[in-house]
Amino acid sequence: MMNLAAYLFISLVLFLCGIIVIIARKNIVAILIGMELILNAAALNFVAYSRYVTHHIDGHIFPLFIIVVAAAEAVVGLAIVIRFFQIKETIHIDDATQLQS
Amino acid sequence: MFLQVVFILSALLTVVSAVMVVFTRHIMYAAVYLLGSLIGVAGLYLTLGADTLAATQLLVYVGGILIIMIFAIMLTGGQDFMKNSRKSFLQVPFMGNVKTYVFGGLAALVMGSIGTKLIMNVADRFSEHSEMLSYQSTIEVIGEALVTDHVLVFEISSVLLLGALIGAATIARPIKKQ
Repeated sequence: MMNLAAYLFISLVLFLCGIIVIIARKNIVAILIGMELILNAAALNFVAYSRYVTHHIDGHIFPLFIIVVAAAEAVVGLAIVIRFFQIKETIHIDDATQLQS
Repeated sequence: MFLQVVFILSALLTVVSAVMVVFTRHIMYAAVYLLGSLIGVAGLYLTLGADTLAATQLLVYVGGILIIMIFAIMLTGGQDFMKNSRKSFLQVPFMGNVKTYVFGGLAALVMGSIGTKLIMNVADRFSEHSEMLSYQSTIEVIGEALVTDHVLVFEISSVLLLGALIGAATIARPIKKQ
């Protein structure tokens, strides 16, 4: 049961859920949540391949940096969302139509 | 046996929470389901023998990113969430005609069969590696690799985090009324 294909299937489900959230939701915070799901799917693939295929520790290093970049991206993205809400009084993605107000 | 129980529970938590993130209407519920999905991924890291990654996942994601997301939801949404979820996934009208759905279904069948074939190949090829290796702590090896082989990426990530800190504080500062 615990083989590479099971982890790849879980990662596939995470990735598809992230893509559907990014496409279908109109809330900017929800789109950021979908991006977190996609980054988790990629990191899970790294660890699964490093355990079952390469047996090397580099597969554990890369998810650390994925988590670091995800933290930086979430902080800056949510700051942009809060700034956008201060200006437009909404966080609907269809209202974000101009770069400079 | 214990590992398989942990694996099954973590996989169920991850998959069910990820699907519920898609299908729930309330954005705050989506954030809480994301919490379940992240904890499930941390459990999957444990079953893969990556204890440092599981601890980092719990600390950074659950303790940091999710709290920031809930703060952002409360600062921006409040009672007004229904207005923002008005055009959500369940409200999208049907598009296209019968021909569109027939060809879309055929394409989905072909892609599904090809994907299943590829996944089965991978499963057959690597099924002999599926026996349990020895589970030992990885923190020493990761620490040595971080300051020897990957030291440049380590330093660049510190600069990236400083830039993200300053950028977030600059972007989200209050508007000056003039």
